[in-house]
Formats: sequence, structure tokens, C-alpha cells
Amino acid sequence: MRLLLLPLFVSGTLLLGSCTDKCEKTQIVRQVKNITLSAEEIRAQLKIESPRSLEQPGKIYVKDNYLFINEIKKGIHIIDNSNPSSPRQVSFINIPGNGDLAVKDNILYADSYMDLVAIDITDPAQAVEVGREQNVFISGTLGADYWGYSESTASVSTQEAYFLEETFQTNCEGVIPWAGGWWPWPYFDVLNFASLNSGSSYSGSVANAVKSGSGTGGSMARFTIYDNYLYTVDQRKLQLFEISNLKNPSFVKNIDLQWGVETIFPYRDKLFIGTTTGMHIFDNSVPSAPKHLSTYTHMRACDPVVVHNDIAYVTLRTGTGCGGTENRLELVDISNLSNPRMLKAYDMQNPAGLSINYPTLFLCEGKFGFKGFDVTDRNNIDKNLLFHEKDMESYDVISMAQNLMMIGMDGLYQYDASNPKNLKRLSHIPVQKPAIVVEKKK
Amino acid sequence: MKKLSRLIALLGLMLGILPAEAQDAANRNRFTNHTEVGALFGKVEYATNPYGNPVTYGRQTKTNLSMQTFNGLYVAPKLAAGLTLGLDWYNEAIINPVALGARYDLLARYNARIFATVDAGYGFTWFNKDLNQNNLIGGWMINPGIGWRLGRPGTGGFTIALTYKRQEATLKMPLDRAILKQEESRIYNRLGVRVGIVF
Repeated sequence: MRLLLLPLFVSGTLLLGSCTDKCEKTQIVRQVKNITLSAEEIRAQLKIESPRSLEQPGKIYVKDNYLFINEIKKGIHIIDNSNPSSPRQVSFINIPGNGDLAVKDNILYADSYMDLVAIDITDPAQAVEVGREQNVFISGTLGADYWGYSESTASVSTQEAYFLEETFQTNCEGVIPWAGGWWPWPYFDVLNFASLNSGSSYSGSVANAVKSGSGTGGSMARFTIYDNYLYTVDQRKLQLFEISNLKNPSFVKNIDLQWGVETIFPYRDKLFIGTTTGMHIFDNSVPSAPKHLSTYTHMRACDPVVVHNDIAYVTLRTGTGCGGTENRLELVDISNLSNPRMLKAYDMQNPAGLSINYPTLFLCEGKFGFKGFDVTDRNNIDKNLLFHEKDMESYDVISMAQNLMMIGMDGLYQYDASNPKNLKRLSHIPVQKPAIVVEKKK
Repeated sequence: MKKLSRLIALLGLMLGILPAEAQDAANRNRFTNHTEVGALFGKVEYATNPYGNPVTYGRQTKTNLSMQTFNGLYVAPKLAAGLTLGLDWYNEAIINPVALGARYDLLARYNARIFATVDAGYGFTWFNKDLNQNNLIGGWMINPGIGWRLGRPGTGGFTIALTYKRQEATLKMPLDRAILKQEESRIYNRLGVRVGIVF
């Protein structure tokens, strides 16, 4: 027995020495780094390119037979949509810092960080820059990234996202160490926050479009055209550009608004400006001098708006940078534009963009899919669900007569909505995510 | 792993140098059960502020409940082989090892006998309740050791065992568009001390 004491002691010592748990947490997290781009560099990069796949689609815009899809921060896809069942990608306009667009006749207006550019799209495959109003925008957000322009250094400071792989020693209890970097909202929510939602309405904005020769934007629009004016909004002001000379947009004036401006939506001779806390209504019967009529206030949230006759349809949602705490659809009586008041509210799942082709209201429900309601009976909208497309993540929609365009995380869908109870999918332009480059922490 | 291989070499050495004891041939194919309960002792060192300059570290000691039962047959006079089922209650993990096991009598000459024990298998997480959309996945387990059996040869007895247990596991945490990967790989390296009964 004594012979065993030594090996027992040795083995016990070895055991004790090796009894340290080894636990490591590995994470790959989106981070951002600050970069600076010179104005000269940005301006030199605008050019027409061959079609490319959708990677991070933003706003959609329709003009005649063409469909324009913003590629956040990068440019605009031009798509020949004369046959919605078989849309054909024509070209891609590389526009650094692009987030919004509007079209009048054959001129496309787009932001490029601090500049407003005018691009002749008479031949969409050979689009060419014809005008530029420099340094009219100062700051903004594109997707998840903030940017700001410094006139003194003639440069844009912005952010570039990347994924960082890090490994930490942990105590084997699943503790999540502080990531140290910037944890953004998921892309979808940031997009809605940053893109400053508005609304699209077949009966409203299309009619305006026809009158002014402009196209129709989706419910995320921050640019709109009425008469001979281009209206843009940033987070705190409305800006007017005269475009009577289409190729030379000229800045007219700013109208200061409260912070939190998100969207602009023209309806007849009125402008509805969505903010994180409500909606401003402007009389635009004199297009060069919009006049404030009233402000409708709701709880803080991102709030796309569409209008039909005397009713504005507003969605509020949670999970965004706007700070919303409820998911719902509000109906606002605007028969007295000086005193808008809420008629009724319906609980929804996570409503984002919407569009109305009366009596059908099309509603994007984020990851909960895409819905259509008959809104004839204002008091029972929730009981009149016409369809619910699931297994897709939708965030903006445009309805044009019987053609319906819906954009979501996995691309652009087009439907024949002549019978809303029986939507027919016509086509799908998919998103192809670029390969993710991961940097390892040194 | 280096220390583990050294330990196994040591056990092998012990097996080689110790005299074998002839067993009753009737012992062959006899059923045996060895049920134990005890504790797993260890420590862990971890980054308390991974973004500090310099990075700061902390240390915690760990003691966890462990129990297991071995059911097997004597396949040789001194060697029993069978299946081991266990339950290890770690901090933030309940793991059920299912392993092939062996018990080998090193010295059976006296009432107090020395035996070698080894179990190797996979630890499952059937009874672990995941929180916060986490998902704990089990992993491979090995548990060699030596023990002391008290009792007359051929009868039941009490045991005390000193073992090394290595158990792997992975905790996968929820992902979203900003988090492409988030998981904790765990290797529990523990000193296991167990008491039990055998018959």
C-alpha cells in the first residue's frame, strides 16, 4: 500500500494543476470606423455603370416605365419595368452618398452627400450629370451611418461599417462583455429611422405626379416634386429648390422645422411632413411659399403617413431609433386641416411603410410580412384583412393602379393587385448580399 | 492536454509495475454497479475588462455537484466495462455525460483496494434550461482517475475516487444583422472527488 502513496500524491498534484476552466467568447460584431472623403473625390465618382445586383436597397421611385431603386450610400439602380413580370436592369448610377431621389420629365435629382445633382436620364443606359447645386446639405444619415460636411475643409466625415472578430476569456457563465464598439440598430430599423418615412398614395401622389410630370416615391421619400419645385427635408428643415430650368436646380430657401423631421408627402396642394413626434401640415397652394397650417402630435415613433381624402393613415412602430413604444395604425381626421384629430387606432405587429389605393390599404409589417386591408369601414379595419403575405420582410410599398411594388430585405417584389384578395406575384428582383469581410482584432 | 497525457502515462506505468492478482474465474461476466456522488473543483481566469489598457483579469474558484452511476460486467478477472450515466451541475450549465466506462482493480489483495477508473463519452444538455435565446450545446467528456475501495473482496463496498474530468460545451448566443457570431466555447477542467458504493 505504501508504494501507492507516492503515485497518488503525484497524480493528485497533477490534477490540481490542470484544473483551470478554459472559456472563450468569440464574437463577430458590426462596427464602424470614421473616414473622411474630400468633396472633390466625391464629385469625381459620379458615373454611369453597367447593372449590378441589389445589395442594400433603400428607397424606390417610379417614373413612367422605369423603376429606380436606391442602393444606400452608393447610387441608383435603373430598371426598365415596362413589363412588371420581367423587369430588366438597365444601368447603375454610381452616386457616392446617395439616399434619396426624385424625377421630373427626363431629369433625375439625387443627393450626393452635400450636393444635389441633376442627371439626364433621357437614355437611362447613358445617363449623364447635367447640373449640380453644391453644398446644400450639411449632414444626415445613410442607412446606419451618420455623415457631416465641413465647408472649411471641403470634406465629408462619415462612417464605414465593418465586422470585427474578437475573442475574450470568460468565466464560463455566458457573460457578455461590453463590446466596446458601436452596436447599431439592425439595418432594417436604422433604415427606417434614417430614411425619414413619408407615404405614398396612388390617389394622391400619383395624381400630383401626373400634374407635375414627376414620378412617385415610396413611403420613405425625403424628396418630392410639386409644380416647379423640388422639396427636400433633413432632420430639422424643409428646403425648396426651383427646377423650372430642369438641368439647373437652384436653392430657394429653408423653412425651419422642429427636430425629428423624417419625410415629406405631397397630397393635392398640401404637404404632409412626418416627424418623430407627429406630422406638420403645410398649405402648398403657392408652391414657392409653403404655409404651415397645423401640427398633429402623437407619441414618439417613426411614422410613415399616407392620405386619402379626409383621412391620414399613420403607422407607429417599436424597435427603431425613433423611440416608439407601440405598434399601431392610427387614422387621423384631417377634414379640418387646421385641427387634425385621431379617429381610431388599431394594434399592428410592426408596421413600417404603407400605401393606399382606396379602398385598399397596403401595409408592410416588417418581419411579419405584408398585409392588405379594406378600409371602407373605418371602425373595423382590423376585421377586414384582405391578404397576409408571410415569409418575407417588407418595409416599403408603392401601389400604382393594379401594379404593386413592395421592397423588403430580400429584394423587390411586384404583384398584380387587381384583386387584392388574390394577389398575384409577377416578379422578384432578389438582393445578393456581398461577401462579408471580417477583420480580426489585433 | 499535455498534463492529461502525462497523467494517463502515469496510470499506465502504475498498471505495469503493480503485481496482478488472480481473481476467481466465477467473477467473469458478473454484473457490477458503481454509483458515486461528489464535487468538481476548479478555477477560472477571465478578462474583467477586455477593452482596458491593459486588459484586466479576475479569477474565480468553482465547486459543482457531480454524480454518476456505472453499470457493467466483468470482462476479465480485474476489469469491468460498461456504461456510465452522470449529471454535472456546473454554474450556468447542467450536463449529462453518457460514457463508456471501465473499472480496473489495481490491487485486490487487501480489504482496502486501489482501482483505476475511466469514463469517456459525450455530455448532453437535456436538462439545461436555456435563457435569453441562448443555446447550450454539449461536448466530449473524458474522466480518468484512481480510487480506493473499502470492503472485503467479492462483496459490496464503499469507494473514494480522485479523478480528472474534462468536459467540453458551447454556448451559442442570439444573432442579428449586426452580430454574425456570438458563442462561448467552454472546456471545464476539474478535479473530481467522489464517494460511492459498489457491488
